[in-house]
Parts: sequence; structure tokens; C-alpha cells
Amino acid sequence: MAQLSARGERDRSAALAIEVARRAAATPWWRRVAVRRYLFGYTLLAPAVLFVLVLVGLPFLFSLYLAMSDASVGDPVARFVGLENFRAALQSSAFWSSLRNTVVFTVGAAICKALLGTTLAFLLMQPFRGKKVVRALIVMPFTIPIAVSALGWKWMFDSQFSVINWALSRLHLIGEFGTAGWPVWLGQPGLALGSVMFVNVWRSFPFGAIVLMAGLTSVPPEVIDAAKVDGANFLQRFRKVIVPMIAPILFVGGLFDTVFTLSDLSIVYLLTNGGPDGATEILPTLAYQVGIKAGALGRGAAISLFLFPLLLPAMILLLRNLRRREW
Amino acid sequence: MVRSARQRDVRRHVLVYAGLTPYLIIAVFPIFWMLITALKQESDLYRMDVVPFWFHLPPTLKNFALLFQSTFYVDWIINTMLISFWVSVITLLTAVPAGYALARLKLPGSENLGIGIFMTYLVPSIILFIPLARVVSVLGLQDKWWSLVVVYPTFTIPFCTWLLMGFFKTVPFEIEEAARVDGCGQFGALLRVVLPVSWPGVITAMIFSFTLSMQDFLYSLAFISVSDNKPVPLGVATELIRGDVYFWGSLMAGALLVGVPVAIVYNLFLDKFISGITGAAIK
Amino acid sequence: MAELTRRDFMRVSGTALAGASIATMLDARQAPAQNRGTTLRMITWSHFVPAYDQWFDKFAREWGEKNGVKVLVDHIPNLELPARYAAEFAAGAGHDLIHFAAQILTGHYYKNLVDMGDVAEPLGKKYGGWMEAATSPAQVNGAWYAVPDYFVPIPVLWRKDLLDQANLATPDTWDKLRIAARTLKAKGHPTGMQFSHCNDANHNWRAVLYCFGARETDPSGQYIILDSKETRETLRFAKALYDEGMTPEVFSWDDASDNRYLASGVACWIHDAISAYRTTQDTNPEVYKSTYVLPEAAGPAGERKNVGEPTVFAIWKFGKNPVAAKELITYLADHQVEAMTASRGFNMPFLRAQYKKPMPVIGEDPKLSPMQDIEKITAFAGYPGPMSPPAQEVVTTFVIPDMFTRVARGQNIDETVKWGVGEIRRIYAKYKAA
Repeated sequence: MAQLSARGERDRSAALAIEVARRAAATPWWRRVAVRRYLFGYTLLAPAVLFVLVLVGLPFLFSLYLAMSDASVGDPVARFVGLENFRAALQSSAFWSSLRNTVVFTVGAAICKALLGTTLAFLLMQPFRGKKVVRALIVMPFTIPIAVSALGWKWMFDSQFSVINWALSRLHLIGEFGTAGWPVWLGQPGLALGSVMFVNVWRSFPFGAIVLMAGLTSVPPEVIDAAKVDGANFLQRFRKVIVPMIAPILFVGGLFDTVFTLSDLSIVYLLTNGGPDGATEILPTLAYQVGIKAGALGRGAAISLFLFPLLLPAMILLLRNLRRREW
Repeated sequence: MVRSARQRDVRRHVLVYAGLTPYLIIAVFPIFWMLITALKQESDLYRMDVVPFWFHLPPTLKNFALLFQSTFYVDWIINTMLISFWVSVITLLTAVPAGYALARLKLPGSENLGIGIFMTYLVPSIILFIPLARVVSVLGLQDKWWSLVVVYPTFTIPFCTWLLMGFFKTVPFEIEEAARVDGCGQFGALLRVVLPVSWPGVITAMIFSFTLSMQDFLYSLAFISVSDNKPVPLGVATELIRGDVYFWGSLMAGALLVGVPVAIVYNLFLDKFISGITGAAIK
Repeated sequence: MAELTRRDFMRVSGTALAGASIATMLDARQAPAQNRGTTLRMITWSHFVPAYDQWFDKFAREWGEKNGVKVLVDHIPNLELPARYAAEFAAGAGHDLIHFAAQILTGHYYKNLVDMGDVAEPLGKKYGGWMEAATSPAQVNGAWYAVPDYFVPIPVLWRKDLLDQANLATPDTWDKLRIAARTLKAKGHPTGMQFSHCNDANHNWRAVLYCFGARETDPSGQYIILDSKETRETLRFAKALYDEGMTPEVFSWDDASDNRYLASGVACWIHDAISAYRTTQDTNPEVYKSTYVLPEAAGPAGERKNVGEPTVFAIWKFGKNPVAAKELITYLADHQVEAMTASRGFNMPFLRAQYKKPMPVIGEDPKLSPMQDIEKITAFAGYPGPMSPPAQEVVTTFVIPDMFTRVARGQNIDETVKWGVGEIRRIYAKYKAA
């Protein structure tokens, strides 16, 4: 009896399989499952892609054109000059110091943000009383518009009225006003660059912590429990289970923040405007001064796009690597 | 020695508070400082002989009054909220489908598209704003805050797409398959199953596009010059800084009045998506 | 701090400019036909004296009402105007009447600006001719593309009480200023001039250069003559002045830092616009009483040159109402006395006849009355050449302040001059190629 029904099963599933195959062969291509999936997918993608293509892609091509022309603000239709603008940039000492500052700024700030953001996220995941208040407070550097919080910092770093100096001086950790021991946060070259980096870190590390927390909470509890059952202690759980799962989000957040920092001029612009003597000049501020304030659009575009040929392949490599790890 | 559960609890609290204190000081002191400055009289600011953390002359609400009576601050706040709201809506409507498509549908070329979308951040806004000015003018939106609603998604969509991709990837395939077997179409599966499970990610994306919209200065400067259409950062920075005279008290007041409520609202949202899962991830 | 009223702001946006009264209609009949029922949009900087903006907006609106024109005035800080103008030009739309303040872009945009000869020439004839320096920000190749409005001088503001106590006379030469700084720094009252990337640094150090006889270019603006004995002498002087009379904080100063230095009672003298004088008046009456004003100090050869910040009007070719714009400019020039009064004596005119004494506000204040002669010694960046695009780029990339910063930090003077002149030559060369 069992054999009979087993054979019956086999026959029935064979018949079903044949039927399915026949139907598949008979459906027109636009009804095929794979194609339907592609159509569906591309339709979903369309709004985002269109938006970015039209409002970023086309202007980007325009800025490429600018970078290779001698355009000025009053005359955006100009002669093609090839790589002349890039060559001119390389000859200017202001450009080299800006490039160096940009790299130091971005890398240094990124490291600080990663460290601070991770430890903060970890701390905030602990259960403790008063967490809501703490979280609300921690988020504030990120919610106050940078255009104005930078001004607040300008006042805090003021050469005369700095409240930081006042406090440190009263604690006898630094010298008196008017002496060499009174740090001029925005006036001494090394300190100035450090100060603008600090403001960037101050403003962004809550962001990093939030992204991390979001990632941490999306780790399914079952996976954690499974690890616990397997006897992993906390650190092992963190390193071997959690980190790999949140790595994509972590990575993207970090990459985004780095790229954003590379093109952000507001902090330097408001605090030091690139001074003293170019100690805090970064590529975006230099590009703004040359391209917009002085009106030499072509050269400004070349300066701001200078890192593009370097960053693009680096980003592609990194992102491909990330993809490969997941799929 | 066996520690009681209570002792362990106290020890953990002490460690956590100790760990958090430097962060809190660094994050919050500048805000406190801005608040004090907002309440000080101007003559009180330029004194070196008194304690700057508190008031020498009595505190005053004059700076806040100036903000509300002599500038369009109320309009600026409304504009900022509206702009951020609409930008978040547009961002979610475009980034959620895009993120889902790139994360789940294994489309050919999706890898490159994903990278391509991210590349938009390498294009500097100080050059972008020039051709965008033309676009804004063609659309007839010059000097209106709607121009920013059109432009801001250029920097919120790429990141939110990636963020949501990350979230969507962590949704187990089985849930989606189960929904499809139950009879939902592909779209139905997205709406009814995937989204609800990854709503922390959606909320995070919304929070970020809201914040990012509030941070911009350059685009608003280029496209809006009429006072009552300005968003808060532009309005405060352009009308409270005149030549070499900074109206510090009102500047700080203006920043706080928009930043603090947003932080509070954020916290409510953060609360929601972390609440159910707080202890689960790390116990 | 002057109180602004929201009502005036509201009116300016045109929200209250509804039905006209009969009187207005009667007046309108006298206006040129093409003006009636039109709009004029103007953009200008946020004047440091808020009362001036208030006055001007009302003034322009009332002129508009008399002539059947709806006038809308927008304000943004002068440092942000170039970005705004770049966007407007790219968009091909924006304001009709624009104002260049400090950063003069006449040379950049002149091909797209309406010719202003028919406004500037008559005004010059009517008011005793334009100042010598007036053509630098407003003319390109001898033709008027902009009309000068007013300029902001940068005099010496000094503490008479402190100098009297030290038995020092009026510091009318740079050397005397240096001695005053040296003497008073020891008593806790140093001076400060910005060695940083800000507006003030650009004009302060140019003033010292010109007073010492150094020049950036020749009068045609084509040849760089900065590499000279006088330049080196100026740099040497600046280093000595810094070492003897200042503290290191000046490397982080911005445009407002010297205002604060004076208002807090520390500075023995500063080189700054009268905005500092007014800030001190408002926040520290004690110090204000003993603060005096000197148009400029003399260099070793007795030369005095004060570097000011000009503002000029221009009209976009794509602007929709050039006729009304031109009329408003002329009308404003006719009411210069009112304008200067509203600015608390800040705005100095470009037209010679308007220097008739007593001038508004500054003529009445004995401490400010020496400023009435400042037009004779005023020059602008790029002097004696025009404020051309390459001259502007030298300004916006802070080459001159950087030179002085390097020297103050101890770098070799010859090397610094070589670097600075090299950078300037490079900048000028790019414009020649184009």
C-alpha cells in the first residue's frame, strides 16, 4: 500500500514538474518571474536614480567641464584648457598645504570619531537609570545647526574671552592671559588645526553612536542567544558575532562621514577661514575662496575635484570588498 | 567572593556613569555655554575679571526678545521644520524602494548602481550650487524655501539608500518567502512584512534626513535672500552678523531654540526603536 | 544695539503694500510712465548699524510709493554676497539692483552689467566731481559699470587717557604708534592688528604698506611692483610692532576681535572701522570717553594712505527694472546727508561736494571731526591699480596677511617677499592668459 502511494506521489510530482515546465515555456518573456523581478526592481530604483542623475549627475558633468575650462563667475561659457587648472593648482603652495591639511583633518577626525562613537554606543546600550535624559543630551551637538554651533565654539575658543582658557588658567593648568602659556586655540598653527578637528569630532560622534546603536539593535536576538548557548562570553560575542553583523552599517556610516567631512567647509570657514597663514586651509575652503569669492570658477572647480580621481577608485574598491563579504 | 546581584548592579551603574561623564561634559558643556551667553547682557560678555559661567549683571531675556521682535525668527523656524519634513518624505519615498531593490532583488548591475549613488558625495556642493541655481530658477523657485526641498534630497537620498540597504539585508529571507507563499505579491511582501520588521532603519533614515536638512548653509544662501523664506541657520547667520559686529546673545538664542526641541523629539524616536530591544542584544 | 522693528521688515516684503491712497496716486501721475506699477528688487549687505538698514528700507520704499514702484530690499552679510551673485548670474534671474560691498566684482561681471555712465557722469558734475579713488571699484576700461555708493574708512582708534598717563603725544605716525604699543604693553595694554585670514587683515596691512610707500601694482594694474625696499621696510616694522606691542592671540583674530579688544578696555589703540568706536560706546562708556580717532598715521616719509572698503551699485543686464534702479541710485545720492546720519557717521561719500563741513554726525563730534578730510588720503586694495579680478583674488586668498604672518612668526623677510610676490604674479598671470 505504501509503495503504491509512494509511486503515486512520484508520478504526481513528475506530472506537476512537467506541467510547470510546459507553462514556463509557454509564458511570454514579459511574464517570466525573473523578468518581472527585474522590472519591479528597476521601477523601485527609478525615482532615486532619476533624482540623483538629474540633480547631481548632470551638474557633476558641468563641474568637470568647468574644471577644464577658464570659466569665471561672470562668464561660465569659456575656452577649454585641458588640465591647465590642475597644473596651476599644483604650482601653488597654498594648494599643497591645503591638501596636507585635508588629509590630516579627515583621517585624524575619522579615527577619533570611530573610537568615541563606538565606546559611546556601547555605553549607551547598557541598561541604567536616567538613560533617556543622557541620550537626549548626547544627541544635541548633532541637532544644533552647524552654522551656529561653530559660532558658539568660536566664542569658546576666543583669544581673549575663551571660557576654556579661563577655567584651565584658574586651575593653574595653563599660564595667565597675555603670557606665552595662554593657548590661542585658533591662532597657533598646530592648535588651530586640532581645534577645528575637535569641533568636527564633537559634532559628528553622536551621529556615529546612533548609527552603531541602530546597527546593534538590528542584530536578531536569536543569534545572540545562540552564541550565548554556545558558551561565548561577552567579548567573544561582540567580536565574533556582533561586529560581523553590523560591519556593513558601521562601514557605510564611516565612509559617509569621511566623504562628508572631505567636502564640508563650514567649520573651518567660520572658525579660522583657513588661517593663520593657511594652517587650517583645506581644499573646500581654498576652492571656495578661489572659485566663488575671487570668481575663478574653473580653477575653483579643479581644486575641489582634485581628490576625486583618487577617492573614486578607493571607494569602488572598498565598496566592492564590502559587497563580496556579504554575498 | 560571591557578589550579590545588587552589588553587581551598583558597580555597573558606577562604571557606566563614570564612562559617560566625559562624553556628557564634552557634548553638553558647549550647549550650556550657549545658553548662558544667550541670557547675558552684552556688557557682561566682554569682561575678563568675572566668572564667565554665571551672570555678573542680571540675566536678561532681551536677546530672545530681539530674536522674536526684530527678525523673522518665527518664520525661519516654521520654514526649517517644513523643509525638513518634506525632504524627509521625499527621501523616504525614494530611498526605501531603492534600498529594498538593491538589497533584496539581486538585480544585474545593482552593485555598480549602489556604488554610483554613493559617489554623488564626492561632488562638492560649492560647485554644484551653480548649475543648481539655474535649475531652481527654471522651476521658478528662486527665493522660495521650496527650492531647498528640491535640492536637499541630493545629499539625503544616497546615504539613506545605503542605510536602508543595510537594514533590509538583515531581514531574513524566510519571512519574506513566507509572506509570498501566503499570497502577497512582491510589493505586498515589501509593504506588509519587510518594512514593519526594519522600521528602526526607516526611522533612523528619517531622523538623518531631517537633521541633514537642518545643517545646510550654502544652498540656502545661494537660493534664498528674502528674509521670511530663510531657514534658521541662514536667517540667524545672515541677520545677526553684521559686518564685524556679532549679536552673540541672539545668535546663541536662535541656535538653542531650534536645536533643543529637535533633540528632545529625536530622543522620543530613539526611545521607540531601541526600547523593545534594549537588553536583548547585550545582556 | 539699536532696536529693529519687525513691522518695517514686514513692510519691506511688500506684504502691506496694498491699495494706494489718493495722495499716492496723485504723486504717481508725476512719475515716468514706464515706472508705474513695476517692482524693483534690490540686495545689499547687512549693515553693521541695523538702524541704517531700517532707515534705508523705509527710504527706498517711500521713494517707491512716490513713483509707483514696489521696492523690495534684501540683506545678507557682505562676505556672502559673492556666492549669491554667482548663483544669480548662473540662474539668469534674481535681483535688479545689486550692491558690491568690500568685495568688488565689477571687473568680473561687467559684461553683464548695465552701463552706468548716464548716472555716474551727471552725479559727478552735480557734486563737485568724484574722489580720485572712486573709479577703481566702479570703472572698467574707462567706462562706468557701477556707481559708487559710500565707503568705510579704517582709522586709528586710540586711548588718549592711556597715552596721556605715559606722557605720549598724539600718535600720528606709525613709529609713534609702535612706541605707544611698546610702552603700554608693559602696563598691560598692548595693541593688536590681525595676522589672520580676515577682511581687516587685508586692509590694515595694505594701509601700512601704502603709508610706507610700497605699492602692489603700477597705476595700470598690470605690473607687480610689490618687490621693493619699501615693502621690506614695512615687513620689518610689522615684525617689530608685533614683538614689542602685541600678544600671540592676534594670529587667531577675526574682524570683530579688535572691536572686543577695545571695548574690553585692554587695547591701547587699534586700527579699525568706527564700528569698534560705536560698539565701545554702547558697551563700555568709560573707555569710550577716552577713545579718540585719527584718520591715519604717517609712514617714515610722512605719507598717509588710508585703505577703505568701498560699496558700489550695479544693475544686472537681466534685471527687469533698470530705469527705476537708476533713479533710486540718483535719489539716494541726493539724500546723502540723511543716509550718513542714519549710519551714525559710518558711511563716507564718494562725491567731493558732500565733504562740505560740517558733515553729518562726524562734524558734530569733536573726536570724529578729523575724519572729514579722509577722502584726500583714501585708497582701495590694488592701489594704485584698479580693483580688478586679479587684485580681488589676491585679496580673497589672503596673500598679504599671510606675508605679514610669516614675518611676524620669524620667517626671513626676503624669502617671504619672494613667496608673496611669486603668488601674486602667478595669480595675475592667469588672468592675462585669459
